[in-house]
Amino acid sequence: MTATTATGVERTVPALQAALAAENAAIFGYGVAGAHLTGSSLAAAEQDWTRHNEARDTLVAMIRRLGATPTATQAFYQIPFRVHDASSAMALAAYLEDGVTKAYLGLVAVSDQRLRRFGALAMQGTAQRAAFWRGSTQAFPGLSIP
Amino acid sequence: MPDIVPRRRILLASATTLPLLLAIAGCRSSDVFAGPDPLAGPPPLGHDVLTLQIVIAAEENLIHLYQGAINGDSGTATREPQQARLRVLRPLLAQHEQHLAQLRARLIEPPGRTDQTTGPAASAAGSSASPGPARVTTAQLRAAERASAAGLVQRLATVKPALAQLFASIAASDATHATALAAKGLG
Repeated sequence: MTATTATGVERTVPALQAALAAENAAIFGYGVAGAHLTGSSLAAAEQDWTRHNEARDTLVAMIRRLGATPTATQAFYQIPFRVHDASSAMALAAYLEDGVTKAYLGLVAVSDQRLRRFGALAMQGTAQRAAFWRGSTQAFPGLSIP
Repeated sequence: MPDIVPRRRILLASATTLPLLLAIAGCRSSDVFAGPDPLAGPPPLGHDVLTLQIVIAAEENLIHLYQGAINGDSGTATREPQQARLRVLRPLLAQHEQHLAQLRARLIEPPGRTDQTTGPAASAAGSSASPGPARVTTAQLRAAERASAAGLVQRLATVKPALAQLFASIAASDATHATALAAKGLG
């Protein structure tokens, strides 16, 4: 376990805030997606929404422990494309999970080994959910490798 | 011998002023003469390089396992369960080949070293003619994917950030593979 130094905290807090912002966006986005889903898809979306809420609470606590103020949730988030049916709702869910995966990848680059592990394990959950909504796996979740 | 004294003084003066001049120049006298010994062979490999070699070898083994599973199924591919399994396994194998290419691209070893990860053993692993397990089950593949993901997460703590991110991404991909292999009807 590596102690978080003053410089480490300076780098760690923005990475945690970015993950928190992505989780907040996902929580909002799942609300939009869920309105167009039914049956088992809706149940899956609700389950994922709950997980993102739990992850948000965890991140808020971690940021506070480092002496920082967690970034507030926005009242509204821009949805990247029009969501009007189940298909576009599922595409939005995959998009949201991709965004959260990228944010957690930022945590993997900090010096604190516990946070690296935390970020890597969180990525596994978000990548699995993205694969579920997309219907296929990716070679490099979170990374921009062609 | 009146001129000996001035010579001694010159020698003594040199002995005292040389370290002083070197100190002013910012280096110790030992630095002037010490350095890499050209006869000592290549320097030891860095931690990231050694870790990459281990991860590459593990990725090659995973690819070998998939090839064994796919080759084992190919003879019976007319049956629907095998066809369904091949439809799942082939894209996953392709993604593992992408992992391997990215890992190898990051492996830069000093010249003069034998590349152990691209040697004959690796070539055999990459050849479809290599003997694989008689029958690789989906459960074995799933277990291998989980082990790979866990191993990568364990290793990312001690490597440089960019490499840690690659390991984390591959681990996440492996985790999605394990879930894909858990689908019903894959044997």
